[in-house]
Amino acid sequence: MAVESEPPVPVDVNALREDVKSKYREVAIDPHGKYHFHTGRYLAKHLGYDDEFVASLPDVAVESFAGVANPFSLQTLAKGEHVVDVGSGGGFDSFVAVHQVGASGKIVGVDMTEEMLAKSRSTASALGLSNVEFREGLAEHLPVEDEWADVVISNGVINLCADKRAVFSEIWRVLRPGGRLQFADIANGKPVPEAALKNIDLWTA
Amino acid sequence: MLSEIGFVDVRIGPPVDTFKGADGEQKARLFQVYGYPFLARKPALNKEN
Repeated sequence: MAVESEPPVPVDVNALREDVKSKYREVAIDPHGKYHFHTGRYLAKHLGYDDEFVASLPDVAVESFAGVANPFSLQTLAKGEHVVDVGSGGGFDSFVAVHQVGASGKIVGVDMTEEMLAKSRSTASALGLSNVEFREGLAEHLPVEDEWADVVISNGVINLCADKRAVFSEIWRVLRPGGRLQFADIANGKPVPEAALKNIDLWTA
Repeated sequence: MLSEIGFVDVRIGPPVDTFKGADGEQKARLFQVYGYPFLARKPALNKEN
């Protein structure tokens, strides 16, 4: 499983990051394009998100969603909680979080892809949301102060980071004592050959 | 890895067939790739939590 101890992955971290950016830049600009994963409303329904709430959102808030499971399925958020969304993309999970924490809560979404940030910020503005903010940054270096968050969420992002220990350590830093991490990600039941791990093209293919 | 960093009460939810019907389904099947929800907690400084 992905949460077990693993050696560092032998890839060029910067090249991998640029490849991931390129892929998700496409998803931001052309959400209905041809990808190896599902996107948008179909995916949200497939992953078990609340139909009624998703239906209430405009297309622009949902269409670039590219998560892998539902980080709210084991526990929902409480009113007033501070939440960090690592790899917030087009903002869909952040908008779900806003709905759950209410007006007294606060969401900080963090993403490294300019086009995703532009989209999530524009959508938040159009929705009149004043308690969600999207910041540029990396999962390994979150632009969030120590122990600010009650909850950290993430969806389908950590598997795309070469140094998972660095990501989890950074999440630990921004969580308050007693805070929780609720994330969704993929895990493989069969080992991936080392040659495939070294092939950056396969990380996002 | 979560436990090594210090997280406790780690829970893993049921698998989701994330890539079912998508172009990536065949590759996902090859390595038995599924999506999962995870939950973990950073311990409190005292025993209140």
